[in-house]
Amino acid sequence: MHIPDGFLSPTVAITMLLVAFIFLAFSWRKVQSTHSHSYAAVLAISSAFVFAAQMINYPIAFGTSGHLVGGTFLAVLLGPWAGMLSMSIVLLMQALFFADGGLLAFGANIFNMAVIGALSFFIFKYLNGNSTSPRRFASSIFVASWLSVFLGALACGLEIGFSPVFANAGGLWITVPSMLFWHAIIGVGEGLISMSLLTAIQRLNPSLLGGLMLLKKKATP
Amino acid sequence: MRKYVIAIAVVIVFLAIFIPFASSSPDGLERVAETLGIKQSASFWKGIMKDYSVSLVGNPYLSTLLAGIFGVLLVIVFSLVLGKVVTGKKAVAYQ
Repeated sequence: MHIPDGFLSPTVAITMLLVAFIFLAFSWRKVQSTHSHSYAAVLAISSAFVFAAQMINYPIAFGTSGHLVGGTFLAVLLGPWAGMLSMSIVLLMQALFFADGGLLAFGANIFNMAVIGALSFFIFKYLNGNSTSPRRFASSIFVASWLSVFLGALACGLEIGFSPVFANAGGLWITVPSMLFWHAIIGVGEGLISMSLLTAIQRLNPSLLGGLMLLKKKATP
Repeated sequence: MRKYVIAIAVVIVFLAIFIPFASSSPDGLERVAETLGIKQSASFWKGIMKDYSVSLVGNPYLSTLLAGIFGVLLVIVFSLVLGKVVTGKKAVAYQ
């Protein structure tokens, strides 16, 4: 879902850079007030894993592939704000060193994957409620991560749909449905992988689930 | 410290195992662009390891694995720096 340079109109690219900046500044402030230095290592390892996982495309159907985005995974593991920063580092490295995702399109890519991924934490939180049931936990993860990819694709479809490059091909009315179609399928992979990873972590080392602990703290003040 | 080195090693082993199975088909967005007949214009920025390969290494598996290892290390360094800068001195909330 990484938008290369040339797919966006300058207006959209600049608007998305601003939007991304606002979200990143906000999450920066949040992380600053809630996390201690010792957290940097956990953040680094999680980012590294997501970077590696994003390199492995899985085939879906009709000669198309997808890969884990990991936004929901990071948000539940690290909490939404640290998760947003962690994903942004991954996207920055991909854009700078691997030309995966454009530099001008960086704001849009941050929004579609890091911001929406992080905010899917609140979908997870809403669905999971105060439940301690492992099944509910797993299904909430699945739905939240599927939605994170689906909504990311919606945002991506809108962004490229506004650009002159895609205007001749039908614009929004074509880009949005086709992005949604493919990512509805890709999202199933996202949901399954995030669900297996997080349920495994919850079983093996529940203290790692920062986002979840945040959740419990609120439930029992 | 030890457990972090192990964690990084696990990530690299993960890459070494799964790279051969990775699909080279276009992803969702590339597929949409292809179907609409839109070519990706030559970008002004080529990165250093475009398409996750190190151009000096001929073997595609090793080239991708090496790019992956570099990427993992770059991500680690940058997030450690960011993590140290962004996190506060005081330990509150969780952990």
